[in-house]
Amino acid sequence: MSDPESGPASVQASALRSNRRLAAGLAERRERVAARLFTAVLYGCCMLFLLVMGGLAVELLWGSRLSLAAFGPGFLWSTEWNPVRGRFGAAPFLYGTVVSSLIALLLAGSVGILAGVFLAEFAPRRLGAALGTMIELLAAIPSIVYGLWGLFVLAPVVSGWIGPALQAAFGFLPIFRGPIYGVNMLTAALVLAVMIVPTITAITRDLIKATPMYYREAALALGATRWESVAKVILPTVRRGIFGACMLALGRALGETIATTMVIGNRPVISASLLAPGYTVASVIANEFTEATSALYLSALIELGLILLVTSLLVVGLGRLMLRLFVP
Amino acid sequence: MKPAVIRTLSVPARRRLSSALWAAAAMLCTFGVALILLLVIGYILREGFAALSWSFLTHLPRPVGVPGGGVGNGLVGSGMTVALAALMAFPAGMLVGIYVAVYAYLSLARLLSFLADVLAGVPSIAIGIYAYTLLVAPFGGFSALSASFALAVLMMPLVIRATEGAVRAVPRELREAATALGATDYRVTCKVLLVAARPGIVTGLLLALARVTGETAPLLFTAFGNQFWEFDPTKPMAELPLQIFTYAISPYRDWHRQAWGGALILVTAVFVLSVAARLSFLLLRGRAADGTGP
Amino acid sequence: MAPAPEPGVIPAQLASPLAGLANRSSEAAAREKVLIRDLSFYYGSFQALHGITAPLYDKCVTAFIGPSGCGKSTLLRVLNRIYELYPGQRASGEVLIDGENILRPGLDLNRLRARIGMVFQKPTPFPMSIFDNVAFGIRLYERLPRSELSDRVEWALRRAALWEEVKDKLKQSGHSLSGGQQQRLCIARAIAVEPEILLLDEPASALDPISTQRIEELIAELKSDYCVVIVTHNMQQAARSSDYTAFMYLGRLVEFDETERLFTRPRDKRTEDYITGRFG
Repeated sequence: MSDPESGPASVQASALRSNRRLAAGLAERRERVAARLFTAVLYGCCMLFLLVMGGLAVELLWGSRLSLAAFGPGFLWSTEWNPVRGRFGAAPFLYGTVVSSLIALLLAGSVGILAGVFLAEFAPRRLGAALGTMIELLAAIPSIVYGLWGLFVLAPVVSGWIGPALQAAFGFLPIFRGPIYGVNMLTAALVLAVMIVPTITAITRDLIKATPMYYREAALALGATRWESVAKVILPTVRRGIFGACMLALGRALGETIATTMVIGNRPVISASLLAPGYTVASVIANEFTEATSALYLSALIELGLILLVTSLLVVGLGRLMLRLFVP
Repeated sequence: MKPAVIRTLSVPARRRLSSALWAAAAMLCTFGVALILLLVIGYILREGFAALSWSFLTHLPRPVGVPGGGVGNGLVGSGMTVALAALMAFPAGMLVGIYVAVYAYLSLARLLSFLADVLAGVPSIAIGIYAYTLLVAPFGGFSALSASFALAVLMMPLVIRATEGAVRAVPRELREAATALGATDYRVTCKVLLVAARPGIVTGLLLALARVTGETAPLLFTAFGNQFWEFDPTKPMAELPLQIFTYAISPYRDWHRQAWGGALILVTAVFVLSVAARLSFLLLRGRAADGTGP
Repeated sequence: MAPAPEPGVIPAQLASPLAGLANRSSEAAAREKVLIRDLSFYYGSFQALHGITAPLYDKCVTAFIGPSGCGKSTLLRVLNRIYELYPGQRASGEVLIDGENILRPGLDLNRLRARIGMVFQKPTPFPMSIFDNVAFGIRLYERLPRSELSDRVEWALRRAALWEEVKDKLKQSGHSLSGGQQQRLCIARAIAVEPEILLLDEPASALDPISTQRIEELIAELKSDYCVVIVTHNMQQAARSSDYTAFMYLGRLVEFDETERLFTRPRDKRTEDYITGRFG
């Protein structure tokens, strides 16, 4: 079956072995040096990464020190933002960030979960794949483009149609009272919702697809409808994962800067109405950082950045924990 | 269980109706979201095309009212900034990703993986502040380099995770077979693991580029923007996203038009990178399997 | 040579697993390449091997058989210390190759592995050309001129009975071969570095019957140059191809003997039960 070897095996073998022992020394030394160099570079990059991460925390803390010292915890609930007099407070921005993000989450969550269910359970395969790809493409669009679209397309719609309609129907509610601006909390919430809906949809879809078939079969066998098998059995099974997805989406919304800045109106006032302008933490940093005239001003802005960082990390961390704990 | 069965027999129509309505609502939501995508892209295409022209792509910005202004310096600036950022982030990120994948059981590797996940959740404006305090304030001036640093930090988690995932996905028998021949970790990693993981890594790199193209917030106080041609990375530099932003919030219609044009360019770039990422994965993986070369 | 000391757990009334070898001539003892002495192995806190003692003879094929989970693959992987890749796995005892204990700390593992070739159950061609696959191990330790390298690659491929099938497509990817060819490629790769010992972990279990037969013929030929150790699920294969057979059960070496004797007159009842198919 096999071809004859190219020479008497044993003689060739021993000659090759001694040659090899001679060459082995030099090759091995070079190999060792290369291996050591490689390991050193590897470790170097790891240390560099650790340094960069550490630097992030250190620089933000150090940059906030003036503001932390001057205002203490009162910074969080003070509504005064007066650069001239050097008095700064985070409350209007925290309000703006939280309200816009939570409303966005509410909208994106309901739409996104329903869309995820449709894609996972009801859509025929090709249609589902096409729609899914389109929704994923939404996630790839840069936020500045969303801001642009929000400013020139959505804001007029809000001030011209949605705002008046809401006010006409629900004007007795404080959240829909007062003059209607195009750039306001509602527009910002809508733009944020559009930006985070792909995350929620995709994760919900993947979670549902990952549940074993027998869950559905058991529900159907008991006489449930298709929808009921999903709503009453599958969704409760994956609810922790969906919560995680929502946390991730919330984290994204909290940190979103450019899109919000362009459509929220940038007025540092807490107003009850959603139709009035607002201001988020990220927006005030974006708008005023390069204009900060005093060290305290800059420090206050950096402290806002620190607050944003910590909040985002907590929210996103919670979200990842939920998803990790949950994975079936 | 019994009550449900009885109710099924007695009121099937009501439940069937509500289930159908819910399912219809779900379908509407899905189509609605897809429709929004079409709306956004549609507007960009419509408004953006109007602004596109050769002069738009190659000229410097002109004062409002003066025709012929463009975003040429922004294109060059963004290109340079992103390229520099990739230069910073790709080698370092890949190496960290390799380390985390190959020595996964060591505590340093687990720490690094965790930190990469943490970094992925950091808002980009916070990273912009970091770049400012590190590279702008001490040197007294804005620079493209500081912007590249910020973008590189943004890219790191993506590069690390993609590399880690790709290397981890290589079947462990491959690693064992190479080690069993007496190869050192270095050789096993470079000649076997990395080659096998190449499709996944390249895709990850392209996706990281796509993610960072179009990031605006960190550029605001790092690159800062520039009205003129600039090729020195230690100086402030024009960036396309910044130009779009400035034009958009201005009160001038002509500048709004240019903002749309810039947005179209940006979306095209991101789209091309994303498609390239997906294609490269299929191509590279296909080549390894069908035997048309290593 | 006296029979090796009894591993602890086997009841006293059974003879030592190695008793059958007591009558070997001194000529056989001189060809002992590897001596495994009181080897135990742990996956974390789980003990997978219990005090294994056995010789492996040069220029012979030794087969390890036993039901799933008996530890035969684990034992194989101790011989080239490939388990060191994974934390929490450790070995105790001694494995003497040519008199040197390879389990001692401080041993150069890469050098050790260069002397031992391993072929795995699943064919694992590297992501490179067929030529580069075979040359990979050679290039690690030798700086050969191009012509010598080609000769060696050809020699290895011939020895692995693959040369005729790939000689015109050496530049193509290793993945372009069929399963049986890939496995022979892995064998060529392993022998190209001229190891002293060849470890084969169920080399044919993932292959079709015809490829399996070719691999078995190959193994019979290879033994003239190497100390071959093969782990197999397939008893008939062990009976056909090997000179010595070891039967393992639950991490213990139950019986070790010349193949013919083990299969026709097994000493231990468990061996007999396994061979006759009563379990496993």
